[in-house]
Order: sequence, then structure tokens, then C-alpha cells
Amino acid sequence: MLAYRNCKGKPLRTAVLILLTALLSLTVCGGTLLVSGLQKGLGSLEARLGADIMVVPYEAKTKSNLESIVLQGNPGYFYMEKSRYEKIASLDGIGQISVQFYLASASAGCCSIPVQIIGFDPETDFTVLPWLRRSYSGSLQTGEIVVGNDLNAFPGDTLTFYGIPCTVAAKLDKTGTYYDSAVFTNIETIQSLIQSSLDRGMNDFAKTDPQKVVSTVLINVAEGYSIEEVMNDINIHVKKVKAVQTKEMISGISRSLKGTSDVIGVLIAAVWILGLVILLLAFTMSVNARKREFAVLRVIGASQGKLASIVMQEALLCGICGAVTGTAAGLLGMTAFRTAIGEVIGLPFLLPPAGQTAVLALLSVAAVMLAGAAAASVSAYRISRIDTALILRGDNG
Amino acid sequence: MKKINITDICLLILSAALCLGVKLLFHACGMKEDGSWMNCHWAEQAVFAVSIGLTVTAGLRLLLNRQAKAGAALAMSVIAVMTALLPGVFVRLCMMDTMRCHAVMRPAVIILCALIAVTGIADAVTGRKEA
Repeated sequence: MLAYRNCKGKPLRTAVLILLTALLSLTVCGGTLLVSGLQKGLGSLEARLGADIMVVPYEAKTKSNLESIVLQGNPGYFYMEKSRYEKIASLDGIGQISVQFYLASASAGCCSIPVQIIGFDPETDFTVLPWLRRSYSGSLQTGEIVVGNDLNAFPGDTLTFYGIPCTVAAKLDKTGTYYDSAVFTNIETIQSLIQSSLDRGMNDFAKTDPQKVVSTVLINVAEGYSIEEVMNDINIHVKKVKAVQTKEMISGISRSLKGTSDVIGVLIAAVWILGLVILLLAFTMSVNARKREFAVLRVIGASQGKLASIVMQEALLCGICGAVTGTAAGLLGMTAFRTAIGEVIGLPFLLPPAGQTAVLALLSVAAVMLAGAAAASVSAYRISRIDTALILRGDNG
Repeated sequence: MKKINITDICLLILSAALCLGVKLLFHACGMKEDGSWMNCHWAEQAVFAVSIGLTVTAGLRLLLNRQAKAGAALAMSVIAVMTALLPGVFVRLCMMDTMRCHAVMRPAVIILCALIAVTGIADAVTGRKEA
């Protein structure tokens, strides 16, 4: 058809228009996926934290070790005496309570990989098990581990930590949080790993007895008690520990997320405004340069509507090609480099499911095509109103 | 000088981008503290070596006639597919998916090799039609 041949006949102009519309769709698709991924990651982190209150050794909180492990996924470990857990359990307002043990494997010959190792009590746990159950319905035996999604290990593989071989029982689904780079074990396994690290002199807590320590106590508050009430009670009555509300821990991330989302929104808007202005100019200049061509078409019988239709079809052709290309590039970039993006941003990041992503892609294409059509409609209207005689005589009308 | 078309330029640019990029931009994990290299470094070296061949082939194509160009493009496509499999399939990478070799090098190599393969096939098909 004529519009297609016009586009093919001017490859440079067509390429520029396609590039421009591709940039618009890349911006909206990529930017929206980025914001959705950050929001989903934050939601995943909230769900993973699970407990109302985390109780950690006082030094762990003041030295920011806890946030480094939980929020940033950096391997680390700290311990407190088990007697503190027993004291906490005896306080009022404690609904569910469970302990976790932390250990970091070393980047050395004794260990397959440097990762965060988290030991939990299957009898009382209420944070790890619900997620674990999605991938593994068995009970974790001594010497067995469950690995996060970012570890390149699969059920049946053997990983060695501090000289102790551990069999991978299952691999978790992606969470976008520190779970993805962690290894989970039961209490017996992690106690033997801690002991082995001490025996090798590779543990900062040289005088620790693994049977008598825990790393953190997780608490869900009982009905009828407020979280602040229970938290303050713990901080007052149990020495050398710090109780933190998990919601407070992620409030900083929430603020960062909001700030990042706002910046991305502003950038998208700026690119769109600029892009639309340039599209409008590009179509206007293109049509102005072809006035004689359109005048000749009028002379040979093309109606005003036909001229407008030619301009709109050209715009739609360029728009479709650009929108599809830009959206595909955005999807490809976000999907292929999602891990790197999460690492660079330093916030929990989890892409939306395939269905939601597909809807977003379609909306991006539709938005860009509408924008292109709107930009071209001004030129289409103007060209349909040209004074043929004036143009063919050489006046620019 | 033979006629140069858009696929000739694309193949040359993509091959050069792969060659330079795997060393300068999307390289693998760095040296270990003891001075040794992780496995992924050798995947990077292998991709670099093959991409030199791809770049030279893309350059030499400019001197060939249309049919020979199409044949060379097809060969480049096959080599590009195999190159994409080098990191992660033929050469094992690090254990953690968050490490640079998994997060940056592998996806970048796959994308560029896929583009080379698609461009090469497109060139081979159009070259066959012109013949």
C-alpha cells in the first residue's frame, strides 16, 4: 500500500521515527517494570520477615549487622545466650516464638561457596517453613540443606561447609530477598557447622558453645497485646538484647522505594513529553517537505480524507514497529539483567509474573501507538486542508 | 569494493561489540585474592577468542560477492549460537546467580549472539533470494 511504500522509500526518516517511538515504549515498559519489581520485592521481603518482632544481641543491632544480613543479604552471624530466649518466652504477650541460627560460610577451601546459612527449628518455625513448603514437603534431616534460588545447586548436589558435606534437599522459588542467597538447615546441622567453624578457628565468636546459643528470636505477638507493648517489655526486662519491630526495619526501604519510584516516574514523564514534542515536530516537518507530493495526489483524485489517511497510516506503521521493538527491548533487558539490576539498586527486586508483564507490554505498545497517532493527527489534519493550486504554483501556503 | 548493505554493517558492529564488550563491559568475575581465576574467567576468554573470529569474518565479508556473503553469514550464525552456549553450558560459571558472570556476562553474551545469529540468517535468506 502507499503508506508502506512511502515509509520504505525514505528509510532514514522511517528509521528515526521508529527509533523515537521505540525509545518511548522502552521508557514506559522498562520504567514501569522496574517500579513494579521494586514494589513486589518489598512485599516479598515483608512476607519473608514474617514475625512481628525480631530479638537480636544488642551489638548486632547497634553495629547494623542485622540489617546487613536481612535487608542487604550480606553473609554474617552473631549469637546470644539461649537463656535469653527462655526469658523472652516467659514474658506476657508472646504468641508464636521461634529461634534462628546464623552462620556465614567462608570463601576458602573448606566451603563450596560463601553464603548465609540459617538454621531454624522445624517444630516452632513460622517464617521459613511456609515458604519452604512451596518447594519441599519432606522434613529436613540432619546433613540436609535447602538452598535459595540464586545458588547454582540442585536437589541431590553436595555442598561442603567447614568440611562437612551437606546434601541439597530442595531449592526455593525466587523471593527477591536475602532468602535467595541463603542456605537453610535444621538446628542439629547448623550446630555441627558452627562447631566445625570454631574447631577450624574460622569463627569470630571463639568461646561459643553451639548448644547454648541462638542468633535471633522471632516473635508473633499474642491476641490482645500490641507489638510496641511486647517489644518494650523485652527491651526493659531482658538484658543485652534488642527487640526490633520488623515493620520499622523495612520502613527505611519503603522510603527509598518511594523515592526511587518518584524519580523513575519523573524521568518517564520527561522522556514522554520530549518524545511527543519531537514526534510532533518530525511529522510536521516530514509532511511540510512533502506538500508537493500531496498536492499531486490531490490533483490526480485523492480526497482530503485519503491524504489524512496516508499520513496516519505511515504514523501507525512506524508506531507499531517502534512500539513493538522498544517494548521487546525493555522486556528483554529487564528479564535478562534482573539480577544485576537488583544488585545495583540494592533493594529487594522481584519481577511481576508473566501474565502481568504481558499486560504491561500490551499497554505500553498501545500507549505509544496512540501517542504517535495523536502526534500525526495534527499534520494529517493540516495536509488535508492544503490549497493544491497554491502549492503547485510554488507558493508555500 | 562490493556493495555494502545494512546486514553487513550490523554483523560487523555486533561482532565487534561482543569482542570488546566481553573484555571491557560485561566481563566475568575478577581475580581471586590468591591470584587464581575462577572458572568463569575461562568462559570469558573463550567467548573473546571466538568473537575475534566472528569480527574478522564479518570484516572479510565486505570483500566477498553476495552468495559468498550469505554463506559466511550462515556460518557466523551457527558459531554465534555455539558461542552463546559457552558460558554456563560448555564452561561452568560460579555457584551464585548474583555473581557477575551470571548476572551480567551470560545474558549480554546470549543477547548479542542471538542478534548475530538472527542477522546472519536474515542475510543468508535475502542473499539466497537475490541469487
